[in-house]
Amino acid sequence: MLKKPLVILTSLTGLLVIAAIALMNGAVEIDLMNPTPIQKEILLSVRAPRVLLAGLVGASLAFSGALFQYVMKNPLADSFTTGVSSSSAMGAVLAIMAGVVGLIPFFSLTSGLIGLYAVYRISSVKGSVRPITMLLAGIVIHTFAAAVISLMKFLSDDSVSSIIFWLMGGFQAASLTNTLIMAITLLFSILVLYREFLSLDIISFDDTTAVSSGVDVNKLRRKVFFIAALLTAISVGYAGIIGFVGLIIPHLARMLRLIKASDLIPVSLLFGAAFMISSDLVARTALSDGRELSVGIITSFVGGLFFLYLLIKRKRELDYFD
Amino acid sequence: MIELNNIAVRRGGFNLMIESLSLEKGEMVAVLGNNGSGKSTFLSMLTGFLKFQGSYRLQGNEFGSIGFREQNRLIGLLPQKTELNMPFDVFYIIQTGRFPLTNGYRYRREDLQATERIIELLDIEHLKDRSYKELSGGEKQRVLLARILNRESPVLLLDEPLNGIDLRHQHETVGLLRRMKKEKAILVVMHDLSLALREFDRFLIFEKGRLIYTSGKEQISRERLVDIFDVEVDLLEKDGKLYVHTRGKT
Repeated sequence: MLKKPLVILTSLTGLLVIAAIALMNGAVEIDLMNPTPIQKEILLSVRAPRVLLAGLVGASLAFSGALFQYVMKNPLADSFTTGVSSSSAMGAVLAIMAGVVGLIPFFSLTSGLIGLYAVYRISSVKGSVRPITMLLAGIVIHTFAAAVISLMKFLSDDSVSSIIFWLMGGFQAASLTNTLIMAITLLFSILVLYREFLSLDIISFDDTTAVSSGVDVNKLRRKVFFIAALLTAISVGYAGIIGFVGLIIPHLARMLRLIKASDLIPVSLLFGAAFMISSDLVARTALSDGRELSVGIITSFVGGLFFLYLLIKRKRELDYFD
Repeated sequence: MIELNNIAVRRGGFNLMIESLSLEKGEMVAVLGNNGSGKSTFLSMLTGFLKFQGSYRLQGNEFGSIGFREQNRLIGLLPQKTELNMPFDVFYIIQTGRFPLTNGYRYRREDLQATERIIELLDIEHLKDRSYKELSGGEKQRVLLARILNRESPVLLLDEPLNGIDLRHQHETVGLLRRMKKEKAILVVMHDLSLALREFDRFLIFEKGRLIYTSGKEQISRERLVDIFDVEVDLLEKDGKLYVHTRGKT
Protein backbone atom coordinates (compact mmCIF):
# COMPACT_ATOMS: atom_id res chain seq x y z
CA MET A 1 0.00 0.00 0.00
CA LEU A 2 1.18 3.49 -0.82
CA LYS A 3 1.92 5.87 1.98
CA LYS A 4 -0.74 8.54 2.10
CA PRO A 5 1.56 11.53 2.90
CA LEU A 6 3.66 10.66 -0.14
CA VAL A 7 0.62 10.53 -2.42
CA ILE A 8 -0.73 13.79 -1.00
CA LEU A 9 2.60 15.55 -1.35
CA THR A 10 3.09 14.33 -4.90
CA SER A 11 -0.42 15.25 -6.01
CA LEU A 12 -0.21 18.64 -4.30
CA THR A 13 3.01 19.40 -6.17
CA GLY A 14 1.42 18.14 -9.39
CA LEU A 15 -1.62 20.32 -8.81
CA LEU A 16 0.52 23.44 -8.30
CA VAL A 17 2.55 22.75 -11.45
CA ILE A 18 -0.61 22.17 -13.49
CA ALA A 19 -2.19 25.33 -12.08
CA ALA A 20 0.89 27.36 -13.01
CA ILE A 21 0.88 25.99 -16.56
CA ALA A 22 -2.86 26.74 -16.81
CA LEU A 23 -2.30 30.31 -15.61
CA MET A 24 0.42 30.90 -18.18
CA ASN A 25 -1.30 29.47 -21.22
CA GLY A 26 -4.42 30.48 -23.11
CA ALA A 27 -5.58 32.92 -25.74
CA VAL A 28 -2.90 35.27 -24.36
CA GLU A 29 0.32 33.86 -22.99
CA ILE A 30 1.26 35.27 -19.62
CA ASP A 31 4.69 35.57 -18.10
CA LEU A 32 3.97 34.74 -14.46
CA MET A 33 7.30 36.00 -13.18
CA ASN A 34 7.35 39.26 -15.04
CA PRO A 35 3.90 40.20 -16.39
CA THR A 36 3.16 43.34 -18.38
CA PRO A 37 0.30 45.53 -17.00
CA ILE A 38 -2.13 44.03 -19.55
CA GLN A 39 -1.04 40.49 -18.72
CA LYS A 40 -1.48 41.26 -15.03
CA GLU A 41 -5.01 42.54 -15.68
CA ILE A 42 -5.93 39.42 -17.67
CA LEU A 43 -4.35 37.18 -15.07
CA LEU A 44 -6.25 38.67 -12.13
CA SER A 45 -9.66 39.31 -13.66
CA VAL A 46 -9.97 36.40 -16.10
CA ARG A 47 -7.35 33.68 -15.92
CA ALA A 48 -6.92 33.23 -12.18
CA PRO A 49 -10.66 33.07 -11.32
CA ARG A 50 -11.14 30.60 -14.14
CA VAL A 51 -8.32 28.30 -13.06
CA LEU A 52 -9.45 28.55 -9.44
CA LEU A 53 -13.08 27.81 -10.30
CA ALA A 54 -12.04 24.85 -12.45
CA GLY A 55 -9.97 23.47 -9.57
CA LEU A 56 -12.74 23.98 -7.03
CA VAL A 57 -15.41 22.45 -9.26
CA GLY A 58 -13.13 19.48 -10.01
CA ALA A 59 -12.51 18.93 -6.31
CA SER A 60 -16.22 19.32 -5.49
CA LEU A 61 -17.37 16.87 -8.17
CA ALA A 62 -14.74 14.31 -7.14
CA PHE A 63 -15.81 14.73 -3.50
CA SER A 64 -19.50 14.33 -4.30
CA GLY A 65 -18.74 11.27 -6.47
CA ALA A 66 -16.82 9.62 -3.64
CA LEU A 67 -19.69 10.40 -1.25
CA PHE A 68 -22.30 8.89 -3.58
CA GLN A 69 -20.16 5.77 -3.95
CA TYR A 70 -19.85 5.18 -0.20
CA VAL A 71 -23.44 5.90 0.68
CA MET A 72 -25.02 4.09 -2.27
CA LYS A 73 -22.57 1.18 -1.80
CA ASN A 74 -22.10 1.40 -5.51
CA PRO A 75 -18.86 1.96 -7.44
CA LEU A 76 -20.60 3.49 -10.45
CA ALA A 77 -22.39 6.30 -8.61
CA ASP A 78 -21.50 9.94 -9.13
CA SER A 79 -23.39 13.16 -9.65
CA PHE A 80 -23.66 12.48 -13.37
CA THR A 81 -24.69 8.81 -13.38
CA THR A 82 -27.27 9.44 -10.65
CA GLY A 83 -28.84 12.19 -12.77
CA VAL A 84 -28.27 14.78 -10.03
CA SER A 85 -26.16 17.03 -12.31
CA SER A 86 -28.83 17.11 -14.99
CA SER A 87 -31.67 17.79 -12.60
CA SER A 88 -29.58 20.55 -10.96
CA ALA A 89 -28.95 22.08 -14.39
CA MET A 90 -32.68 21.94 -15.10
CA GLY A 91 -33.30 23.86 -11.86
CA ALA A 92 -30.69 26.47 -12.80
CA VAL A 93 -32.24 26.96 -16.24
CA LEU A 94 -35.72 27.25 -14.71
CA ALA A 95 -34.40 29.94 -12.35
CA ILE A 96 -33.05 31.89 -15.32
CA MET A 97 -36.37 31.49 -17.17
CA ALA A 98 -38.26 32.73 -14.11
CA GLY A 99 -35.97 35.76 -14.06
CA VAL A 100 -34.48 35.01 -10.64
CA VAL A 101 -30.80 34.60 -11.50
CA GLY A 102 -29.82 35.22 -7.87
CA LEU A 103 -31.74 32.10 -6.85
CA ILE A 104 -29.85 29.76 -9.19
CA PRO A 105 -28.11 27.89 -6.36
CA PHE A 106 -31.41 27.38 -4.53
CA PHE A 107 -33.30 26.22 -7.62
CA SER A 108 -30.53 23.95 -8.72
CA LEU A 109 -30.13 22.36 -5.27
CA THR A 110 -33.87 21.75 -4.86
CA SER A 111 -34.17 20.29 -8.32
CA GLY A 112 -31.03 18.17 -7.79
CA LEU A 113 -32.37 16.78 -4.52
CA ILE A 114 -35.68 15.85 -6.18
CA GLY A 115 -33.78 14.02 -8.94
CA LEU A 116 -31.61 12.25 -6.38
CA TYR A 117 -34.62 11.22 -4.32
CA ALA A 118 -36.32 9.77 -7.40
CA VAL A 119 -33.25 7.77 -8.48
CA TYR A 120 -32.62 6.54 -4.94
CA ARG A 121 -36.20 5.41 -4.42
CA ILE A 122 -36.28 3.61 -7.74
CA SER A 123 -32.98 1.78 -7.37
CA SER A 124 -32.46 1.07 -3.67
CA VAL A 125 -33.22 -2.16 -1.89
CA LYS A 126 -32.66 -1.99 1.88
CA GLY A 127 -30.22 0.89 1.47
CA SER A 128 -28.08 -0.72 -1.23
CA VAL A 129 -28.38 0.84 -4.64
CA ARG A 130 -28.31 -1.61 -7.50
CA PRO A 131 -25.82 -0.36 -10.10
CA ILE A 132 -27.76 -1.26 -13.22
CA THR A 133 -31.11 0.04 -11.96
CA MET A 134 -29.39 3.23 -10.80
CA LEU A 135 -27.81 3.78 -14.21
CA LEU A 136 -31.16 3.28 -15.92
CA ALA A 137 -32.95 5.63 -13.53
CA GLY A 138 -30.10 8.14 -13.96
CA ILE A 139 -30.46 7.98 -17.74
CA VAL A 140 -34.20 8.58 -17.47
CA ILE A 141 -33.66 11.62 -15.22
CA HIS A 142 -30.90 12.92 -17.48
CA THR A 143 -32.99 12.52 -20.63
CA PHE A 144 -35.96 14.23 -19.02
CA ALA A 145 -33.89 17.12 -17.66
CA ALA A 146 -32.07 17.58 -20.99
CA ALA A 147 -35.45 17.70 -22.76
CA VAL A 148 -36.71 20.37 -20.36
CA ILE A 149 -33.51 22.40 -20.84
CA SER A 150 -33.81 22.11 -24.65
CA LEU A 151 -37.45 23.15 -24.47
CA MET A 152 -36.55 26.19 -22.39
CA LYS A 153 -33.90 27.11 -24.92
CA PHE A 154 -36.42 26.71 -27.71
CA LEU A 155 -39.03 28.87 -25.98
CA SER A 156 -36.66 31.65 -25.13
CA ASP A 157 -33.80 32.68 -27.36
CA ASP A 158 -31.90 35.08 -25.18
CA SER A 159 -32.46 34.26 -21.51
CA VAL A 160 -30.80 30.84 -21.56
CA SER A 161 -27.59 32.02 -23.09
CA SER A 162 -26.21 28.77 -24.35
CA ILE A 163 -27.66 25.33 -24.12
CA ILE A 164 -24.23 23.90 -24.80
CA PHE A 165 -23.00 25.60 -21.63
CA TRP A 166 -25.52 23.74 -19.49
CA LEU A 167 -25.28 20.39 -21.18
CA MET A 168 -21.52 20.21 -21.73
CA GLY A 169 -20.22 22.58 -19.06
CA GLY A 170 -17.54 25.22 -19.07
CA PHE A 171 -15.81 27.88 -17.00
CA GLN A 172 -16.43 30.93 -19.21
CA ALA A 173 -18.65 32.43 -16.51
CA ALA A 174 -15.91 32.36 -13.86
CA SER A 175 -15.81 35.44 -11.65
CA LEU A 176 -14.38 36.27 -8.28
CA THR A 177 -17.84 36.01 -6.70
CA ASN A 178 -18.73 32.54 -7.94
CA THR A 179 -15.22 31.29 -7.24
CA LEU A 180 -15.62 32.50 -3.68
CA ILE A 181 -19.05 30.89 -3.26
CA MET A 182 -17.76 27.61 -4.67
CA ALA A 183 -14.80 27.75 -2.24
CA ILE A 184 -17.10 28.39 0.72
CA THR A 185 -19.39 25.53 -0.33
CA LEU A 186 -16.47 23.12 -0.58
CA LEU A 187 -14.99 24.22 2.73
CA PHE A 188 -18.38 23.95 4.44
CA SER A 189 -18.86 20.43 3.04
CA ILE A 190 -15.45 19.29 4.27
CA LEU A 191 -16.10 20.74 7.72
CA VAL A 192 -19.51 19.07 7.99
CA LEU A 193 -18.20 15.66 6.97
CA TYR A 194 -14.60 15.23 8.05
CA ARG A 195 -15.63 13.76 11.39
CA GLU A 196 -17.82 11.24 9.58
CA PHE A 197 -15.03 9.65 7.55
CA LEU A 198 -14.94 6.50 9.72
CA SER A 199 -18.72 6.23 9.48
CA LEU A 200 -18.51 6.54 5.68
CA ASP A 201 -16.30 3.45 5.62
CA ILE A 202 -18.78 1.53 7.76
CA ILE A 203 -21.81 2.63 5.76
CA SER A 204 -20.34 0.69 2.82
CA PHE A 205 -21.43 -2.45 4.67
CA ASP A 206 -25.06 -3.54 4.40
CA ASP A 207 -27.41 -1.55 6.63
CA THR A 208 -27.78 -4.27 9.30
CA THR A 209 -24.03 -4.51 9.80
CA ALA A 210 -23.56 -0.73 9.67
CA VAL A 211 -26.31 0.04 12.20
CA SER A 212 -25.17 -2.70 14.59
CA SER A 213 -21.66 -1.24 14.31
CA GLY A 214 -22.86 2.01 15.82
CA VAL A 215 -23.54 4.11 12.70
CA ASP A 216 -26.90 5.87 12.52
CA VAL A 217 -27.30 5.00 8.87
CA ASN A 218 -30.44 6.97 8.04
CA LYS A 219 -29.16 10.16 9.61
CA LEU A 220 -25.76 9.86 7.96
CA ARG A 221 -27.27 9.03 4.58
CA ARG A 222 -29.49 12.13 4.66
CA LYS A 223 -26.57 14.32 5.65
CA VAL A 224 -24.24 12.92 2.99
CA PHE A 225 -26.88 13.04 0.25
CA PHE A 226 -27.53 16.68 1.07
CA ILE A 227 -23.84 17.62 0.96
CA ALA A 228 -23.22 15.62 -2.23
CA ALA A 229 -26.22 17.28 -3.90
CA LEU A 230 -25.10 20.71 -2.64
CA LEU A 231 -21.60 20.29 -4.09
CA THR A 232 -23.15 19.18 -7.38
CA ALA A 233 -25.74 21.95 -7.49
CA ILE A 234 -23.25 24.78 -6.92
CA SER A 235 -20.80 23.24 -9.40
CA VAL A 236 -23.52 22.91 -12.02
CA GLY A 237 -24.86 26.39 -11.29
CA TYR A 238 -21.49 27.93 -12.16
CA ALA A 239 -20.06 25.49 -14.66
CA GLY A 240 -22.92 23.47 -16.16
CA ILE A 241 -22.98 19.68 -16.35
CA ILE A 242 -19.50 18.19 -16.39
CA GLY A 243 -19.73 14.43 -16.57
CA PHE A 244 -17.74 11.54 -15.16
CA VAL A 245 -15.21 13.44 -13.01
CA GLY A 246 -16.80 12.15 -9.82
CA LEU A 247 -16.67 8.64 -11.23
CA ILE A 248 -13.10 8.56 -12.51
CA ILE A 249 -11.26 10.32 -9.72
CA PRO A 250 -12.25 8.12 -6.74
CA HIS A 251 -11.53 5.07 -8.91
CA LEU A 252 -8.01 6.33 -9.58
CA ALA A 253 -7.55 6.75 -5.84
CA ARG A 254 -8.77 3.20 -5.23
CA MET A 255 -6.35 1.91 -7.86
CA LEU A 256 -3.62 3.38 -5.65
CA ARG A 257 -5.13 1.30 -2.81
CA LEU A 258 -6.53 4.37 -1.07
CA ILE A 259 -9.90 3.07 0.04
CA LYS A 260 -10.71 4.43 3.49
CA ALA A 261 -12.60 7.73 3.29
CA SER A 262 -9.85 9.45 5.29
CA ASP A 263 -7.33 8.43 2.58
CA LEU A 264 -9.51 8.54 -0.50
CA ILE A 265 -11.32 11.85 -0.03
CA PRO A 266 -8.29 14.17 0.48
CA VAL A 267 -6.52 12.59 -2.49
CA SER A 268 -9.69 12.77 -4.62
CA LEU A 269 -9.99 16.50 -3.88
CA LEU A 270 -6.45 17.09 -5.20
CA PHE A 271 -6.79 14.73 -8.18
CA GLY A 272 -10.18 16.24 -9.06
CA ALA A 273 -8.80 19.77 -9.03
CA ALA A 274 -5.76 18.81 -11.11
CA PHE A 275 -7.85 16.85 -13.60
CA MET A 276 -10.35 19.67 -14.10
CA ILE A 277 -7.72 22.39 -14.48
CA SER A 278 -5.95 20.29 -17.11
CA SER A 279 -9.20 19.51 -18.92
CA ASP A 280 -10.08 23.20 -18.99
CA LEU A 281 -6.61 24.04 -20.25
CA VAL A 282 -7.03 21.58 -23.10
CA ALA A 283 -10.52 22.97 -23.82
CA ARG A 284 -9.14 26.51 -23.98
CA THR A 285 -6.08 25.80 -26.09
CA ALA A 286 -6.89 22.79 -28.30
CA LEU A 287 -8.33 24.79 -31.19
CA SER A 288 -5.79 26.97 -32.94
CA ASP A 289 -8.31 29.58 -34.14
CA GLY A 290 -8.96 30.90 -30.62
CA ARG A 291 -12.34 29.23 -30.16
CA GLU A 292 -12.94 27.15 -27.01
CA LEU A 293 -14.20 23.63 -26.64
CA SER A 294 -16.65 22.82 -23.84
CA VAL A 295 -14.75 21.25 -20.99
CA GLY A 296 -17.45 18.59 -20.70
CA ILE A 297 -16.40 17.32 -24.13
CA ILE A 298 -12.95 16.59 -22.73
CA THR A 299 -14.13 15.00 -19.46
CA SER A 300 -16.87 12.98 -21.14
CA PHE A 301 -14.40 11.74 -23.74
CA VAL A 302 -11.89 10.61 -21.12
CA GLY A 303 -14.64 9.56 -18.71
CA GLY A 304 -16.58 7.66 -21.35
CA LEU A 305 -13.53 5.57 -22.21
CA PHE A 306 -12.82 4.98 -18.52
CA PHE A 307 -16.42 3.99 -17.90
CA LEU A 308 -16.19 1.52 -20.75
CA TYR A 309 -13.02 0.11 -19.21
CA LEU A 310 -14.80 -0.27 -15.86
CA LEU A 311 -17.74 -2.03 -17.45
CA ILE A 312 -15.50 -4.53 -19.23
CA LYS A 313 -12.95 -5.02 -16.47
CA ARG A 314 -15.41 -5.14 -13.61
CA LYS A 315 -18.27 -6.87 -15.36
CA ARG A 316 -18.24 -9.78 -12.97
CA GLU A 317 -18.42 -7.56 -9.92
CA LEU A 318 -21.29 -5.58 -11.39
CA ASP A 319 -23.27 -8.72 -12.02
CA TYR A 320 -22.49 -9.91 -8.55
CA PHE A 321 -23.63 -6.74 -6.84
CA ASP A 322 -26.77 -6.32 -8.87
CA MET B 1 -27.10 -9.81 31.91
CA ILE B 2 -30.23 -10.05 29.73
CA GLU B 3 -33.74 -10.21 31.18
CA LEU B 4 -36.85 -10.45 29.06
CA ASN B 5 -40.43 -10.36 30.30
CA ASN B 6 -43.61 -10.64 28.26
CA ILE B 7 -41.89 -9.68 25.04
CA ALA B 8 -44.02 -9.44 21.91
CA VAL B 9 -42.54 -8.56 18.51
CA ARG B 10 -44.45 -8.17 15.28
CA ARG B 11 -42.57 -8.40 12.00
CA GLY B 12 -44.90 -8.35 9.02
CA GLY B 13 -47.32 -11.21 9.62
CA PHE B 14 -44.93 -12.97 11.99
CA ASN B 15 -45.25 -12.75 15.77
CA LEU B 16 -42.56 -13.59 18.30
CA MET B 17 -43.57 -14.14 21.94
CA ILE B 18 -41.24 -14.64 24.88
CA GLU B 19 -42.83 -14.87 28.31
CA SER B 20 -39.75 -14.81 30.42
CA LEU B 21 -36.06 -15.38 29.84
CA SER B 22 -32.96 -14.58 31.81
CA LEU B 23 -29.42 -15.03 30.45
CA GLU B 24 -26.25 -14.69 32.47
CA LYS B 25 -22.61 -14.39 31.51
CA GLY B 26 -20.64 -17.58 31.44
CA GLU B 27 -23.23 -19.31 29.30
CA MET B 28 -22.80 -20.64 25.80
CA VAL B 29 -26.34 -20.61 24.49
CA ALA B 30 -27.39 -22.41 21.31
CA VAL B 31 -30.44 -20.87 19.63
CA LEU B 32 -32.23 -23.64 17.78
CA GLY B 33 -35.37 -24.16 15.74
CA ASN B 34 -36.52 -24.79 12.19
CA ASN B 35 -36.49 -22.10 9.48
CA GLY B 36 -38.98 -19.35 10.19
CA SER B 37 -39.33 -20.29 13.86
CA GLY B 38 -38.16 -16.86 15.05
CA LYS B 39 -34.42 -17.23 15.74
CA SER B 40 -33.23 -14.33 13.60
CA THR B 41 -36.16 -12.16 14.70
CA PHE B 42 -35.07 -12.87 18.27
CA LEU B 43 -31.52 -11.66 17.55
CA SER B 44 -32.82 -8.58 15.70
CA MET B 45 -35.03 -7.76 18.66
CA LEU B 46 -32.11 -8.10 21.11
CA THR B 47 -29.96 -5.84 18.91
CA GLY B 48 -32.66 -3.18 18.94
CA PHE B 49 -33.70 -3.38 15.29
CA LEU B 50 -37.34 -4.19 16.00
CA LYS B 51 -39.99 -2.49 18.07
CA PHE B 52 -41.18 -4.67 20.93
CA GLN B 53 -43.69 -4.70 23.75
CA GLY B 54 -42.71 -5.84 27.22
CA SER B 55 -39.60 -5.43 29.28
CA TYR B 56 -36.04 -5.94 28.00
CA ARG B 57 -33.30 -5.23 30.51
CA LEU B 58 -29.61 -5.27 29.59
CA GLN B 59 -27.12 -5.23 32.46
CA GLY B 60 -29.93 -4.06 34.73
CA ASN B 61 -31.00 -1.13 32.54
CA GLU B 62 -34.15 -0.83 30.45
CA PHE B 63 -32.93 -1.30 26.85
CA GLY B 64 -34.68 1.80 25.53
CA SER B 65 -32.91 3.99 28.07
CA ILE B 66 -29.47 2.92 26.82
CA GLY B 67 -28.07 5.25 24.14
CA PHE B 68 -27.59 3.97 20.58
CA ARG B 69 -23.80 4.02 20.80
CA GLU B 70 -23.78 2.28 24.18
CA GLN B 71 -26.17 -0.43 22.91
CA ASN B 72 -23.66 -1.26 20.21
CA ARG B 73 -20.81 -1.25 22.70
CA LEU B 74 -22.65 -3.85 24.79
CA ILE B 75 -23.87 -6.03 21.94
CA GLY B 76 -21.89 -7.55 19.11
CA LEU B 77 -24.09 -8.91 16.33
CA LEU B 78 -22.83 -11.11 13.51
CA PRO B 79 -25.71 -11.15 11.01
CA GLN B 80 -26.38 -14.19 8.86
CA LYS B 81 -25.24 -12.33 5.77
CA THR B 82 -22.89 -9.38 5.41
CA GLU B 83 -22.40 -7.42 2.22
CA LEU B 84 -19.52 -5.12 1.47
CA ASN B 85 -18.83 -3.33 -1.76
CA MET B 86 -15.57 -1.52 -1.03
CA PRO B 87 -12.24 -3.33 -1.34
CA PHE B 88 -10.99 -2.62 2.20
CA ASP B 89 -8.14 -4.78 3.46
CA VAL B 90 -8.88 -7.43 6.07
CA PHE B 91 -7.04 -5.66 8.89
CA TYR B 92 -9.17 -2.56 8.48
CA ILE B 93 -12.40 -4.55 8.30
CA ILE B 94 -11.57 -6.16 11.63
CA GLN B 95 -10.58 -2.79 13.07
CA THR B 96 -14.02 -1.33 12.23
CA GLY B 97 -15.53 -3.78 14.72
CA ARG B 98 -14.25 -1.41 17.42
CA PHE B 99 -15.99 1.67 16.00
CA PRO B 100 -18.54 1.90 18.86
CA LEU B 101 -15.64 2.07 21.33
CA THR B 102 -14.11 5.14 19.63
CA ASN B 103 -15.05 8.80 19.74
CA GLY B 104 -16.49 8.36 16.23
CA TYR B 105 -13.71 9.94 14.20
CA ARG B 106 -10.46 8.34 15.22
CA TYR B 107 -9.26 4.86 16.18
CA ARG B 108 -6.94 4.77 19.17
CA ARG B 109 -3.63 2.98 19.47
CA GLU B 110 -5.30 0.36 21.65
CA ASP B 111 -7.81 -0.35 18.87
CA LEU B 112 -4.96 -1.25 16.55
CA GLN B 113 -3.30 -3.40 19.22
CA ALA B 114 -6.54 -5.23 19.99
CA THR B 115 -7.00 -5.82 16.25
CA GLU B 116 -3.54 -7.39 16.02
CA ARG B 117 -4.36 -9.66 18.98
CA ILE B 118 -7.68 -10.89 17.65
CA ILE B 119 -6.13 -11.58 14.24
CA GLU B 120 -3.53 -13.76 15.92
CA LEU B 121 -6.18 -15.44 18.06
CA LEU B 122 -8.27 -16.38 15.02
CA ASP B 123 -5.26 -17.60 13.06
CA ILE B 124 -5.83 -15.25 10.12
CA GLU B 125 -2.53 -13.35 10.08
CA HIS B 126 -1.91 -14.54 6.53
CA LEU B 127 -5.07 -12.75 5.39
CA LYS B 128 -4.65 -9.39 7.05
CA ASP B 129 -3.24 -7.44 4.08
CA ARG B 130 -5.53 -9.05 1.51
CA SER B 131 -8.57 -7.35 0.08
CA TYR B 132 -11.70 -8.69 1.76
CA LYS B 133 -13.48 -9.06 -1.56
CA GLU B 134 -10.92 -11.59 -2.82
CA LEU B 135 -11.37 -14.04 0.08
CA SER B 136 -13.26 -17.34 -0.04
CA GLY B 137 -16.60 -17.64 1.75
CA GLY B 138 -15.14 -19.39 4.78
CA GLU B 139 -12.25 -16.93 5.07
CA LYS B 140 -14.69 -14.01 4.90
CA GLN B 141 -16.73 -15.56 7.67
CA ARG B 142 -13.67 -15.91 9.91
CA VAL B 143 -12.75 -12.28 9.23
CA LEU B 144 -16.27 -11.14 10.13
CA LEU B 145 -16.17 -13.23 13.28
CA ALA B 146 -12.85 -11.62 14.22
CA ARG B 147 -14.40 -8.23 13.51
CA ILE B 148 -17.24 -8.77 15.93
CA LEU B 149 -15.09 -10.42 18.63
CA ASN B 150 -12.78 -7.40 18.37
CA ARG B 151 -15.52 -5.28 19.96
CA GLU B 152 -15.07 -7.15 23.25
CA SER B 153 -18.77 -6.68 23.95
CA PRO B 154 -20.31 -8.46 26.96
CA VAL B 155 -23.10 -9.83 24.74
CA LEU B 156 -22.35 -11.73 21.53
CA LEU B 157 -25.13 -12.59 19.10
CA LEU B 158 -23.91 -14.83 16.30
CA ASP B 159 -26.25 -15.89 13.52
CA GLU B 160 -24.85 -19.10 12.00
CA PRO B 161 -21.22 -18.06 12.52
CA LEU B 162 -19.73 -21.36 11.38
CA ASN B 163 -21.27 -21.22 7.89
CA GLY B 164 -18.70 -22.09 5.27
CA ILE B 165 -15.86 -22.50 7.74
CA ASP B 166 -13.77 -25.68 7.40
CA LEU B 167 -14.01 -28.33 10.11
CA ARG B 168 -10.72 -27.59 11.81
CA HIS B 169 -11.51 -23.88 12.14
CA GLN B 170 -15.09 -24.61 13.21
CA HIS B 171 -13.64 -26.62 16.03
CA GLU B 172 -11.14 -23.93 16.95
CA THR B 173 -13.77 -21.21 16.79
CA VAL B 174 -16.05 -23.06 19.18
CA GLY B 175 -13.08 -23.63 21.50
CA LEU B 176 -12.27 -19.91 21.35
CA LEU B 177 -15.86 -18.97 22.21
CA ARG B 178 -15.78 -21.38 25.14
CA ARG B 179 -12.64 -19.70 26.46
CA MET B 180 -14.27 -16.28 26.12
CA LYS B 181 -17.56 -17.21 27.74
CA LYS B 182 -16.58 -16.40 31.32
CA GLU B 183 -17.11 -12.68 30.80
CA LYS B 184 -19.81 -12.90 28.19
CA ALA B 185 -23.28 -14.06 27.31
CA ILE B 186 -22.87 -15.82 23.97
CA LEU B 187 -25.90 -16.69 21.85
CA VAL B 188 -25.34 -18.69 18.69
CA VAL B 189 -27.99 -19.49 16.12
CA MET B 190 -27.18 -22.86 14.59
CA HIS B 191 -28.62 -25.92 12.90
CA ASP B 192 -26.05 -28.52 13.89
CA LEU B 193 -27.81 -30.27 16.79
CA SER B 194 -24.89 -32.54 17.46
CA LEU B 195 -22.44 -29.66 17.82
CA ALA B 196 -24.96 -27.76 19.94
CA LEU B 197 -25.50 -30.62 22.39
CA ARG B 198 -21.81 -31.42 22.59
CA GLU B 199 -20.39 -27.94 23.14
CA PHE B 200 -23.12 -25.64 24.43
CA ASP B 201 -24.45 -25.20 27.96
CA ARG B 202 -27.97 -24.12 27.33
CA PHE B 203 -30.53 -24.30 24.57
CA LEU B 204 -33.18 -21.87 23.42
CA ILE B 205 -35.53 -23.63 21.07
CA PHE B 206 -38.05 -21.69 19.01
CA GLU B 207 -41.14 -23.10 17.36
CA LYS B 208 -43.56 -20.99 15.34
CA GLY B 209 -42.58 -17.74 17.03
CA ARG B 210 -42.62 -19.15 20.56
CA LEU B 211 -39.72 -19.88 22.85
CA ILE B 212 -40.55 -23.41 23.96
CA TYR B 213 -37.34 -24.59 25.62
CA THR B 214 -34.81 -22.68 27.72
CA SER B 215 -32.94 -25.29 29.81
CA GLY B 216 -29.69 -27.21 29.69
CA LYS B 217 -29.34 -30.66 28.18
CA GLU B 218 -31.02 -32.44 31.16
CA GLN B 219 -34.44 -31.91 29.65
CA ILE B 220 -33.48 -32.94 26.12
CA SER B 221 -34.94 -36.24 25.03
CA ARG B 222 -35.11 -38.06 21.74
CA GLU B 223 -38.90 -37.72 21.59
CA ARG B 224 -38.69 -34.02 22.16
CA LEU B 225 -36.16 -33.50 19.38
CA VAL B 226 -38.25 -35.58 16.97
CA ASP B 227 -41.30 -33.55 17.88
CA ILE B 228 -39.65 -30.13 17.49
CA PHE B 229 -37.46 -30.67 14.45
CA ASP B 230 -39.71 -33.08 12.61
CA VAL B 231 -36.90 -35.51 11.80
CA GLU B 232 -36.08 -38.98 13.07
CA VAL B 233 -33.02 -38.88 15.35
CA ASP B 234 -30.94 -41.10 17.56
CA LEU B 235 -29.56 -39.63 20.75
CA LEU B 236 -26.32 -41.26 21.92
CA GLU B 237 -24.31 -40.62 25.02
CA LYS B 238 -20.57 -41.14 25.19
CA ASP B 239 -18.11 -39.90 27.82
CA GLY B 240 -20.81 -37.68 29.32
CA LYS B 241 -21.48 -35.97 26.00
CA LEU B 242 -24.59 -36.20 23.85
CA TYR B 243 -24.43 -37.03 20.17
CA VAL B 244 -27.28 -36.69 17.74
CA HIS B 245 -27.59 -38.78 14.64
CA THR B 246 -30.18 -37.59 12.15
CA ARG B 247 -31.95 -40.31 10.18
CA GLY B 248 -34.40 -38.38 8.05
CA LYS B 249 -38.01 -37.44 7.94
CA THR B 250 -40.42 -38.81 10.56
